[in-house]
Amino acid sequence: MHESAMIDNFVEIIENKVKEYNVKKVTKIKLKVGKLTCLCPGTLKSCFEAVTGEKDLLKDAVLEVEEVPLKACCESCGQTFLLENNNFFCPFCQHPYIKIVAGRELFIESVEVEEDGN
Amino acid sequence: MEIKIGRNVLEANELTAARNARVFRENTLFALNMMSSPGSGKTTILEKTIEALREQLKLAVIEGDVYTEKDADRIRKYDIPVVQINTHGSCHLDAKMIKDVLPSFNLKALDLLIIENVGNLVCPAEFRLGEEARVAVLSVPEGDDKPMKYPLLFRESDVALINKIDLLEYFDFDLERVKEEIKTINPKIKIFALSSKTLEGFADWLSWLKDNVQK
Repeated sequence: MHESAMIDNFVEIIENKVKEYNVKKVTKIKLKVGKLTCLCPGTLKSCFEAVTGEKDLLKDAVLEVEEVPLKACCESCGQTFLLENNNFFCPFCQHPYIKIVAGRELFIESVEVEEDGN
Repeated sequence: MEIKIGRNVLEANELTAARNARVFRENTLFALNMMSSPGSGKTTILEKTIEALREQLKLAVIEGDVYTEKDADRIRKYDIPVVQINTHGSCHLDAKMIKDVLPSFNLKALDLLIIENVGNLVCPAEFRLGEEARVAVLSVPEGDDKPMKYPLLFRESDVALINKIDLLEYFDFDLERVKEEIKTINPKIKIFALSSKTLEGFADWLSWLKDNVQK
């Protein structure tokens, strides 16, 4: 299962970012996971808790995962639409060449933190 | 206080994959990533491909498995450079694993590097390795519903190989419908239906490979 490798990567991104601020601890991490990204939000949360349990900075952080729907843009008519039921064609002009513009993310949007008062 | 981060978690892999791709380009080496579920016949397709092309092209292979050297052992008998990566748990190869084994090869002396990924229809599609082309392998006994069930792999691939067509008479596998479904997921994909046992349909796959290596 590779969610644990992902978690290591994003713990590193967060730790590096919060160094720029006077942070006591992270209370929430807002993550966007695309519908077509092969990660299970439930497993992600369990792995996150396992990895960060010993870190003072992150052990109280809640992982908030927003699932991003699959969206595509038609390469012919330029319209953007939600891609449903694996219908990989434009519902407006039926053109088969479409580009996925959302729904493949594994994106750290932001973190909420408690500042160090000292 | 909220701190904006706005970072893609997969970016570390993307950066390493781009680095690998640059290395392959600098050495005029065509790298291929073969992905499929376990048992589709990737290794046998690879063996037959090597047998057909080794007189014309300088080939090398990277094998990816969770455990064992079984697949690399099969390739070793062809006396071409081969390295086995064991992930010891991870269900796919990633760009760093590839980067770490590249020093084992004399890349300048190679024309074609085939990476056989860990058997898995889900995750390998998510992790670029630096390859120039991606091949998804599906076999007849697995069933004709797999492309629609695992669309990302077919969406992300340049070629789909439908293997074991010698077994079509024994299974309810609608070959034409599968090809249509794969094309609806990815209209740009090239599809080759073949048998790694009888070699039916193999010539077209080999032609595609040779044309793309020599480009």
